Amino acid sequence: MSIWLGLRRYWQRHRQLNQSWRAHRYIALDLETSGLDPKTDQVLAMGWVTIRPPVIDYRSAHYFVTQVNPELKQSPVVHGMVQRDFEAAEAPQMALAQLARELQGAVLICHHVQFDWQFLQRFAKQYQVKLQPLAKFDTLTFEAQRLHQQQHHIARGSLTLKACRQRFHLPDYAAHHAFSDAVACGELFLAQAYQYAGSADAPLKELLK
Amino acid sequence: MQPDFAELNRFLLDCPPFDQLSQEQRQWAAGQIKAVYLNEHNVDELFRAHSPALYIVRSGGFDLLTPDGALIERLESHDLFGFPSLLTGRGVVNKLEVIEDGIVYILSADVFDQLRQHSRAFEHYFIRAHEQRLLSQQGQRAAPANAYGDSLQRLVSEVVTRTPIGLASTATIQEAAQCMRDEKISSVLVVDDERLVGILTDRDLRNRVVAQGLDYGIHVNAVMTQAPATIRGQQTLLDALTLMTQENIHHLPVLDEQDRPMGMLTNTDLMRQQKSEPVMLISALNKAQSRQALVDEAQHIPDYMHSFALRMNDAAAVGRLLASLTDTMTRKLIDFYEREHGVAPAAYVWLAFGSQGREDQTLSSDQDNGLLLVNDLNEQQLAWFASLGDYVCEGLADCGVPKCPGNIMASNPDCRRTRAGWLERFTSWTESPTPKALMYCQIFFDSRNVQGNKRLYQAYREDVARLGQSEFFLGNLARLQANVQVPLGLFNRFRGTESGKDSDLVDIKRHGLALINDIVRLYSLHAGLTEPRTLARLHLLEASKLLNRKDNQALAEAWQFLTQLRLQHQLAVWGTEQPKNALDPDDLSTLSRRQLKSAFRILKDCQQGVSLKFGRTG
Repeated sequence: MSIWLGLRRYWQRHRQLNQSWRAHRYIALDLETSGLDPKTDQVLAMGWVTIRPPVIDYRSAHYFVTQVNPELKQSPVVHGMVQRDFEAAEAPQMALAQLARELQGAVLICHHVQFDWQFLQRFAKQYQVKLQPLAKFDTLTFEAQRLHQQQHHIARGSLTLKACRQRFHLPDYAAHHAFSDAVACGELFLAQAYQYAGSADAPLKELLK
Repeated sequence: MQPDFAELNRFLLDCPPFDQLSQEQRQWAAGQIKAVYLNEHNVDELFRAHSPALYIVRSGGFDLLTPDGALIERLESHDLFGFPSLLTGRGVVNKLEVIEDGIVYILSADVFDQLRQHSRAFEHYFIRAHEQRLLSQQGQRAAPANAYGDSLQRLVSEVVTRTPIGLASTATIQEAAQCMRDEKISSVLVVDDERLVGILTDRDLRNRVVAQGLDYGIHVNAVMTQAPATIRGQQTLLDALTLMTQENIHHLPVLDEQDRPMGMLTNTDLMRQQKSEPVMLISALNKAQSRQALVDEAQHIPDYMHSFALRMNDAAAVGRLLASLTDTMTRKLIDFYEREHGVAPAAYVWLAFGSQGREDQTLSSDQDNGLLLVNDLNEQQLAWFASLGDYVCEGLADCGVPKCPGNIMASNPDCRRTRAGWLERFTSWTESPTPKALMYCQIFFDSRNVQGNKRLYQAYREDVARLGQSEFFLGNLARLQANVQVPLGLFNRFRGTESGKDSDLVDIKRHGLALINDIVRLYSLHAGLTEPRTLARLHLLEASKLLNRKDNQALAEAWQFLTQLRLQHQLAVWGTEQPKNALDPDDLSTLSRRQLKSAFRILKDCQQGVSLKFGRTG
């Protein structure tokens, strides 16, 4: 890659980050994995949805089950997934290629984005797909900073997706499913963003600090 | 691959009318939704960016305001808005204000139209909601899961199949008897020019012809029962049963929509509906040969009524049936008393008041009754009636109809009066209406003749109706009903009617049904009606200039809805210590909650209407 191309990309990104956060496109995403270690565990399913503030568009909903014969390990306990969920599995290349397209120029949102991103990168690499979101936003880190600034003591369990949503009076969702958790995370993001930067037309980079 | 939207589906299932869509339709609709996180920074864009559309509140709180800022409704989770613009094509003019940030789902006009085209139930819901007629929605949902309903819900016309057997009123008695023999029937219709003029039964031939030694050549119109009670083919068997029990008759002529005779319904036809508790109950009560036997049979009433009510779609029918059971027990007790003490020494009427009079009795309703006597009775005759009152009221109490705490019972000398005596009492109420007097006379104005002399009752009832037309009196009644709080507070939210730990509960009898009864009674007193039943009163008031058609219909629907809701609630708290008439709106389904609000809103409007129309005078 020429240095010029790299500079151009840097400049472009710089310009985009200075635009209002509301003008951007976001992808809220959640993964289901067979365990907690990206090196040894696998991605089982992923769900995502597109957000153009303040709208979460269910027509853009995606849900991919990635493996036909997964090692389930402890996952069924966490996500309630069973064997038949995998029967409708699609080719991972297709799913990842579509995600890659949608992430172009968009901000990836997850609750604990480092975790999902590590899995996602490894997974994508396996299939020679490159994921390049404009930026990543972590609803968990944001919430931790917010509480910290308000000088709250951060109790154990107070940063789960559910607990964070409750503080914003968002509805309780019973299901744990990659798609509904993606939506839940997206709603939390909107609540956080509007509270933090609703009145001012803050640039995206403000939100990412 | 599309996700299954489990969370959204679960929500929509609890959000009528989406529960009426098929699984596929709902799934499709879920995939078309846009969710907006609505807050003060973007609320003004909502209508601009997304209308017309249907909006569904998922969380948060929002006030819907008219363009000049008047509050229409506070919207909370599960509330729908925006559909009037979708249905009328007119632009949105109302404004929205955020009370608490939250999520609002948007369904575009295209999606809304598709759903309307594919689901009639969905479309009907919105048409009704737009016309503010949500209450007429109840019937289809009230149908219990175990389903066939009761055989008494069948229409009379389904049972009466053979062509009517009729004779002209100029036929001779012998011709009538021959006809009945040839057709193997126990009663015959007397019909002139396609109009029913009377009915002649086996029993009439025995009692009025043979026993009296009349000539067989005279015309049937000399011995027939003139202008008999009738029923229409479109009414239910239960209506027929109630009518036959109340009128104490075994043959009921059936008329079509044009009042032409369709046939005859007999108690044998009803007895064939063997699986039906009401039929078994009424026939068991009628067969009882002693007071003890009657009391024993009556102990089954609560259980029978419980299983019957669970199968009924029409809650009002349960109230009518209970009233006719009380009527039957009253007549049986009078019969037993006469067997012991000889027949009544003079003409009289056993009066039913209050809920028995209105035929909206429940299992917890207490007795309200009295006696109407003729003038100039001697000591001994008065003693006979006094003792009748004691006997019947005690007997009813043993049969499970509690005594009246306010002592409105025929055992109380104050409730055994001559026509003049009753009128004196009504006059004192109407001329010097203390709150207590007003409360009492509301009970007394809803009366019915259970047993006794029809002409005596009619004369009394017409006198009472005349007294009830006093403007001064109506003005006082209007002010009394205006004091009853409708349990809707600011922003159209429910307001508890009880105190202490029950402060969230809403008493749907005192602050709902009773209020409708009061409002409808006012209009019917003004119109001079003698009919006691609320729905029948509304029907008679359809021509009234004072109560417009829309309010009339709205009151009828609200009454039916609240009656249904009360029945469901009473079945749910059956055998527990929980309040029988007070419930927690939060325990209701989304649809019932919307309907209850809608019913209270109707009541509030009609209550104000009454105050305006009657409250000024006096």
